[in-house]
Amino acid sequence: MGPLIPNGVIPYEWSNIIAILIGIAFGFILEASGFSSSRKLAGVFYGYDFAVLKVFFTAALVALIGLLYMDYLGYLDMGSMYVHPTYLWGAIVGGAIMGVGFVAGGFCPGTSLCAVAIGKIDALVYVVGIMIGVFIFSELYVLFQPLYEGAFEGNITLMDSFGINRYWFVFIFTIIAIVIFKLSDMIRKRNKKIFY
Amino acid sequence: MVNRKLVKVLTFRYTILALILIVLAGGLVLLPKYTKHEGINPEELLSNAISPERYISTDALADKIVNQDPSNILIDIREEIEFTKYSLPNAINIPLKNLLDEDSIPYLNQNQFNVVLFSNDNFYADQAWILCNRLGYKNIRVLKGGLNLWFTTIINPLKPDQNESAEEFTLYSTRKAASMFFGVKYPEQVKVDAPVIKKKAPKKVFTIEKKKKAPAEGGC
Amino acid sequence: MTKDKKQKNSHLYWNPYFGGFLLGILILFTFYMTGRGLGASGAMKSSVVTIVDTVTHSHAEANEYYSKFLDDNESPMNNWLVFETLGVLIGAFISGGLSNRISWRVQHSPKITSKRRLAFALGGGLLFGLGAQIARGCTSGAALSGMAVLSTGGFITMIAIFGTAFLVAYFFRKNWI
Repeated sequence: MGPLIPNGVIPYEWSNIIAILIGIAFGFILEASGFSSSRKLAGVFYGYDFAVLKVFFTAALVALIGLLYMDYLGYLDMGSMYVHPTYLWGAIVGGAIMGVGFVAGGFCPGTSLCAVAIGKIDALVYVVGIMIGVFIFSELYVLFQPLYEGAFEGNITLMDSFGINRYWFVFIFTIIAIVIFKLSDMIRKRNKKIFY
Repeated sequence: MVNRKLVKVLTFRYTILALILIVLAGGLVLLPKYTKHEGINPEELLSNAISPERYISTDALADKIVNQDPSNILIDIREEIEFTKYSLPNAINIPLKNLLDEDSIPYLNQNQFNVVLFSNDNFYADQAWILCNRLGYKNIRVLKGGLNLWFTTIINPLKPDQNESAEEFTLYSTRKAASMFFGVKYPEQVKVDAPVIKKKAPKKVFTIEKKKKAPAEGGC
Repeated sequence: MTKDKKQKNSHLYWNPYFGGFLLGILILFTFYMTGRGLGASGAMKSSVVTIVDTVTHSHAEANEYYSKFLDDNESPMNNWLVFETLGVLIGAFISGGLSNRISWRVQHSPKITSKRRLAFALGGGLLFGLGAQIARGCTSGAALSGMAVLSTGGFITMIAIFGTAFLVAYFFRKNWI
């Protein structure tokens, strides 16, 4: 019964080795999908390349459906998963700032690391920028603290917040994602192609 | 020919993939739902049930009470009327029907004390034991034979015959001594004051908060 | 998908659905192994904490935010996410090496200078680092892994990131197209 490391099936000492292996796979997939190119990433916002959207939603769907099946078949306990905590205002404001940073810089942290690995200097500068951002946040923590810790809703899932059946939600989410994929293809066909 | 067919299929590849995804997601909706049981699994319950640890004999319990062993909580699961008529010293009354109440959980779900359940015989105590095990409570035991056996062995022990073994006699004398502790007077010792049992305040139970799993640090 | 496009662009990278599928399987595996999802900015936070700690230990101790991640016995670098990030660098290097993408360069739109690109990258990174701390995670940690377990916070973060990005995309268009 998973998760394996917290349940002691795999000794804790292995966790760092597994972390590196998972990281290698993560980096490989991101790079091979083209996430090391900021112009490809930014394409989603200008309608000339929807790779980010497709990879992102496909990954979320596969993981979501897979987790629910594993939970159903008893390999995994959904209840013992780490659920990202919900700090309402922190999530909204932080997300909005990240959105601006995304368009301005063309990367997100994971993809910038991939780009650093293949020698993109702009990505290196971006990573330095992230570190400065973290530094600023930490130095001005007193200022950000109310936002950081405010409106804490607990480690809730959509089921807790809206009381919807998670299976139905996943089903609807799948259909929405497929419609979005289809739409994104249509938009891209109408737009001028950009090569990078 | 095969190639052309393959090409024809491949032009629909995204449609096919989308359909697979929808079928998988729809499968989740249509799967028969069952409620997952919480608590321990059946194998563990069985191994607890056949373990000798499950029961405590009346003699062992009497010994513990006489020695004022502080590690025990006695829980009487009979009705309140019966409890007020007679019960073991310092026992706490949790009638079987109230076993799952909020108030009874601190007594049952803890790791510091040995909980001894008893009723008139084994029957109700055993059922309570199974419920408690099912909920994953630790250190729960049942008084073997219940209060009935308690009476016939401790309170009113049967005097062994002349020709029985020496062990029987030692057992009898300990039982007799124990019964005197519990306030039974024997004709040959009328003059001796039976030890006065001080009504102790019910044991305070310090419940241990179940350790929550250390929250994993945020993803990034 | 025109043939022209296929020849010029698509062969470079995997089909996005294939990449997404593998990424989904990887997230699934990560949850099965560790009970939580992937992450990326956590390692940068650990690096910052370590740097500040080595430069001025007393300042790091005094700061409420750094001190959360400081432990007398353990370095903040001894962290699951740091190892994972090392793996990301290795994995991306392997993939880039296999398809000959490794080279020192600044990638930017032909319409802007590389100086401008670098300035915007720094500014974008700064904002992203700030935002990732406020929201407790970036696109991979909060949005992607959060969505996989249907976390409300994950969905809100995802909508906030992409919603804002679409809203402000117009003002940055010169940088990209």
